[in-house]
Amino acid sequence: MPTLYARGVSRPSPPDRSPTLGLLLGLLITLSAVVAYSAYITWQVTGLRKLQTELVDRNRKDSLQLLRIQNDLNLLAVAMRDMVSSDEPYPLTAWSAQFQRIRTDLDDAMRLEAGFAAASRTPEQSTFLTGNFNQFWDAVDRVFALAHDGKDKEAREQIQLSLQERQAALSTAVARLLVQNSENEEQAGQRIVQIYDRVQRQVYVFLAATLLAILLNGLSGIRWNRRLFARLAEVSERRSELAQKLIATQESTLRYISRELHDEFGQILTAVGSMLRRAGTHAPEGSSLRVDLQEVLVTVQTTLESVRSLSQALHPVMLDEAGLESTMDWYIPTIERQTGIAISYEKQGVAFPVDGGAGVHVYRVLQEALNNVARHSGAKAAWVRLRFLPYALELEVEDHGVGLAERPSNHGIGLVAMRERSELMGGQIIFSRPPEGGTRVHLAVPREKAESYGKEDHSVAGG
Amino acid sequence: MAGLASCPQLRALTVQTGAAVSPGFRFTDVTGSAGIHFQHNSGAFGGKFLPETLGSGCAFLDYDRDGWQDILLINGADWPGHKKNRSTLRLYHNNGNGTFTDVTVRAGLDVEMYGMGVAVGDYNNDGFPDILITCVGQNRLFRNTGKGTFVDVTSVSGLGKREGFSTSALWFDYDRDGLLDLFVCNYVKWSPEHDVFCSLDGKHKSYCTPEAYRGATCWLFHNRGDGTFEDVTAASGIFDSSSKSLGVALFSDNHDGWPDLLVANDTQPNKLYRNQHNGTFKDTAVEAGLAFSSEGKARAGMGVDVGDFDNSGTPGVAITNFDNEMIGLYRLSGKSFEDIAPQSGVGIASRNSLGFGCSFLDVNLDGWLDFAVANGHIDETVRNIRGNVGYAQPPQLFLNRGKGSFREVAAEVDGGFDLPKVGRGLAYADFDRDGDLDLLLTTNNGPAYLYRNDQLSGNRSIRFRLVGTKSSRDGIGALVRVFAGGLTQSRLVKGGSSYLSQSELPVTFGLEKQDRIERVVIDWPSGRTEEYKNLAAGRCYECTEGKGIVPQNGY
Repeated sequence: MPTLYARGVSRPSPPDRSPTLGLLLGLLITLSAVVAYSAYITWQVTGLRKLQTELVDRNRKDSLQLLRIQNDLNLLAVAMRDMVSSDEPYPLTAWSAQFQRIRTDLDDAMRLEAGFAAASRTPEQSTFLTGNFNQFWDAVDRVFALAHDGKDKEAREQIQLSLQERQAALSTAVARLLVQNSENEEQAGQRIVQIYDRVQRQVYVFLAATLLAILLNGLSGIRWNRRLFARLAEVSERRSELAQKLIATQESTLRYISRELHDEFGQILTAVGSMLRRAGTHAPEGSSLRVDLQEVLVTVQTTLESVRSLSQALHPVMLDEAGLESTMDWYIPTIERQTGIAISYEKQGVAFPVDGGAGVHVYRVLQEALNNVARHSGAKAAWVRLRFLPYALELEVEDHGVGLAERPSNHGIGLVAMRERSELMGGQIIFSRPPEGGTRVHLAVPREKAESYGKEDHSVAGG
Repeated sequence: MAGLASCPQLRALTVQTGAAVSPGFRFTDVTGSAGIHFQHNSGAFGGKFLPETLGSGCAFLDYDRDGWQDILLINGADWPGHKKNRSTLRLYHNNGNGTFTDVTVRAGLDVEMYGMGVAVGDYNNDGFPDILITCVGQNRLFRNTGKGTFVDVTSVSGLGKREGFSTSALWFDYDRDGLLDLFVCNYVKWSPEHDVFCSLDGKHKSYCTPEAYRGATCWLFHNRGDGTFEDVTAASGIFDSSSKSLGVALFSDNHDGWPDLLVANDTQPNKLYRNQHNGTFKDTAVEAGLAFSSEGKARAGMGVDVGDFDNSGTPGVAITNFDNEMIGLYRLSGKSFEDIAPQSGVGIASRNSLGFGCSFLDVNLDGWLDFAVANGHIDETVRNIRGNVGYAQPPQLFLNRGKGSFREVAAEVDGGFDLPKVGRGLAYADFDRDGDLDLLLTTNNGPAYLYRNDQLSGNRSIRFRLVGTKSSRDGIGALVRVFAGGLTQSRLVKGGSSYLSQSELPVTFGLEKQDRIERVVIDWPSGRTEEYKNLAAGRCYECTEGKGIVPQNGY
C-alpha cells in the first residue's frame, strides 16, 4: 500500500536517542558544582570563624584583661601617690586592704590573660611580665613590712625609690602588649578582608558558572522538548492517516463486495430463478420434478434475498442513492427488529443534503453505536436523535444501560474508529454518561463538511 | 519613660490606660499647709563648685519622743567670700495635727555649715535621737539633751578636726556591743581652695565630673560608750582611698546577725563591706555581683536602698545611677546578685533619668515593697546636649506587682508628685499616724516637698517601734518578720539608705484588708529572738527588748 506513506513521511525516522542521559548529566554537573562550592565556602567560613575566634576574639578578650590589669596598675599608682602624699591621718598599713583587693583582682586578670595570650606571647614576654609582677609584689610586701614595724618614713622612701618605678615599668610593659594586640588585630583584620574578597570573587565566578550550566541545561531541554513534540505530532498524523486509509479501504472493499453481491450474484440468482421457473413450466403438472424445481426455486429466491440483505448490510446502496436520512429511516426499524431493542428515533431541524462520503461515516457511527447498545449495554431501549442545525449535523445515540466506564476495559476498535471517522469529517465526538446512566454518543459535524465532504480531495471516502 | 512623657498625647494615653488599675492611694502636697517653708541653698554663685550639684538630704525623727515624726531638712550655705544670705538646716516639730513648727533656733540647730547628709541615731542610748550632719568641711554631731534642744559635741566626741567632703552616713552597731557606731561616706578630695577648672567649651567653667578629683576613703568611727569615738577606718579594713562614695545602706543578707554595709560609689566600683565578726570588714562586692553593672562597668552610684521586695526573706538592692545607666535593681540569684532592672520595668523607665534618693516602702500597703526615686540632673544645661533629658525630672514611684515586676505610677498619684524637680534627698515616715507612709523629698537649690499619703482602697498596716535594752536603744540592725495571709515580710530597722537622708526608724508592714497578723518575729542585734502571736492590725506596737510588746493607741 504505497499511498499510506504519502506527504513526505515516506519512512519512519530512525529511533531518536533519549535526552534523559544528557539532561541527567547536566543536572549532575550543576549539582556537583553547587555541592563542591558549598563545601568550599563552608571551608572558607570555618577558616574565617576560626581566625575570628582564635585570633580576633582571643585578642579582644586578652586586650580586655590587659585593660583590667592596666586599670589595676593605675589604682596601685593612685594608692601609692596617696600613701606618699601623707595627707591621710592613717598609718600606711591602712592601705594594705586596698592593695590586697587590687592584688586579688590583678591575679585573676593575669590568670585569664595568660590563657588568652598563650598563642601570641613569646616565652620571654611571659617570663618578663610574671617576673616583674613577682618583684613588684615582693617590694610591696617589704614596704608593708616596714609600715607594720612603724617605719612609715622608710616605707614611703621605698615607694618613691622603687615601687612607683616598678609600677611604671609594668604599666609600660602592659601598654606594649596592648599595642601588640592592636597590631595583631589589625593584621587579622586584613586577613579577614582578604578572605572576604576572595570569597566574594569566587561567589561571582560560581554564580556565573551555575547560571551558564542552568542555561545550557535549559536550552538543551527546550531543544529536546521541541523535537519530542515534533515527533509526537508526526506520529499522531501518521496514525491518523493510517486509520483513514484503513477506513477508506474497508469502505471501498465493503462497497465492492456489496455491489458484487447485489449485481453479480443477484443477477445470477435472478437468472437461475427465471430458468427454474421456465424449466418448471416444462415439467409435467404434478410430477415430482416440478415439485423439486419449485423447491429449488424457493431456495434460490431465499438465497437472493439473503444476498441482497447482506449486500445492504455491508454497504447500503440506499445511502448512495437515497441519502443518509432515508437510509436511517430504513436502518433503524431493521435493527430494531433484528435486536429487539425499542429505538425512539427523533429528527429535528430542516434537513439539508448530506454528502455521500460524510453520510457513510455518520451511518457507520450510528451502526457502531447501536451495535454497542445491543452487545454491551444490556439496555432494552435506545434513543437516536438526528439534528439538522443551521451550522452542524448532530447525531446522538443514547441508552440507559451499562455505561462505558462500567464495561470491561477493552473497548475494541469500534470507539477508535468512531473517533477517527469524526475527525475525518472535522467533527467532534463525545462519549458521556446521561444522568439516568448508560452511554450517550454525541457526534457533531460542521454543516459545510457534512454538505461538501465528498467534493474535497479525499482519496479515502471516495474509495 | 521620660522620653515618652515629653509627648503629651502619649502621656495622656499612659494616664488613661493606667487609670484602669488605680494605684489604691493618693498623694497630697501638704508642704505649704503643714508650714514647711524651706529653701535649699547650694551656695552657687557662678564658681561652679562641685558640691553645688549634689543637694542636701532630709530626715524623719521623733526628737522629742512624743510619738510624732518630726522633720529635719539639711541645708548648704554661701561659700566663703560670697556670703549674701544666711542659711541653716531646719528642724520642724510635728504638732500632731498635720502642721509643723520651725523649732530650729529653739533647738539650738541654727548653725551655719555647708550641710550635705544626715544620720539620726541615739548613740548614747538615752532614748533621744542624736543627729550627725555631714558637711563639706567639718561634720557636726549634735547630742539631743532630751529637753527639746541639741548640743554640738563634735569636738568632745572626737569627731572634730576632720575636714572632708562627706555625703551619706549611718549609725549601726558593727561590733554588737549595744552602742551605735558611725559610718560616714566621703565623695572626693575637694575643697574650695583645691577646686579645678573644668569646661565644656574651653572658655567657661562648668561643673567637674568626679573623675577630675581623687577619691576619698569612707570613715568608720567606733563608739567607745563614753561619748567619744575612735577612728577605726584603717584598723577595720574600710579604708579605701579610691572610693567616691555617695550612698550607704545597712545590709544583712547572710543571716549571720552581723551587720554589713553596702556603699554606692560614683564612677568607682560599689563596695560591699562584709562584717568579719572581729571588728574588720572585707569588700566582697565583686564576688557578690554588686560592684559593677552587668556589663562590668562601674556606674555612677548615687543613692542606695536595701529591702526584701520579693518577700523571699533575702533583701534585694537598688542603686540609683546616672542617666543612660539605668537604676540597678539587684536580687539574689544563687550565690550572687543579679541585676533584674531591665526585665523588672525599672530599668527602661529609669534610662533617661538621673536618680538620687531612693527608698523601698510599701506605699499602697499591699504587703509588697514598692520603690520611690527622686530624680534630677546635675547639669542645668543638659537639655542643650541631650534633648530628652531635663535638669528637673519627675520623681518616680514603682508599684511592686510581685514576681520581680514593677509599674511606674507617679503620674497617677496626684499631688503634683510627677512634676519635674531637681530631686536629691528622699525619706519616708507616717507623719500623720494614719498607718501609711508619707514622702519627703528635697531638691537642689529649691524647696522641699512633703507628700501626704491617703489610702483609697482600705488597705491597712501594722507598725512596730523597737526599743533595745541590750541592743542599742534604737534597735538598729534588728530584723522584724511578719507572718500574715500566707506572706512573710521582713524589714530591717535601719538608718542610712537613700541619699543623704534617713527615714523613720519604726517599721511598717502592709496587710491589705487583713485585720490580724499570725505572728511577728524580732531578731535583735544582741542575738535575742522574740515572737508575738495574733496581733491586731491597724496600730503601732512598741517592742522593748526582753520586756514585751505594748500596743499603742492607733498608729
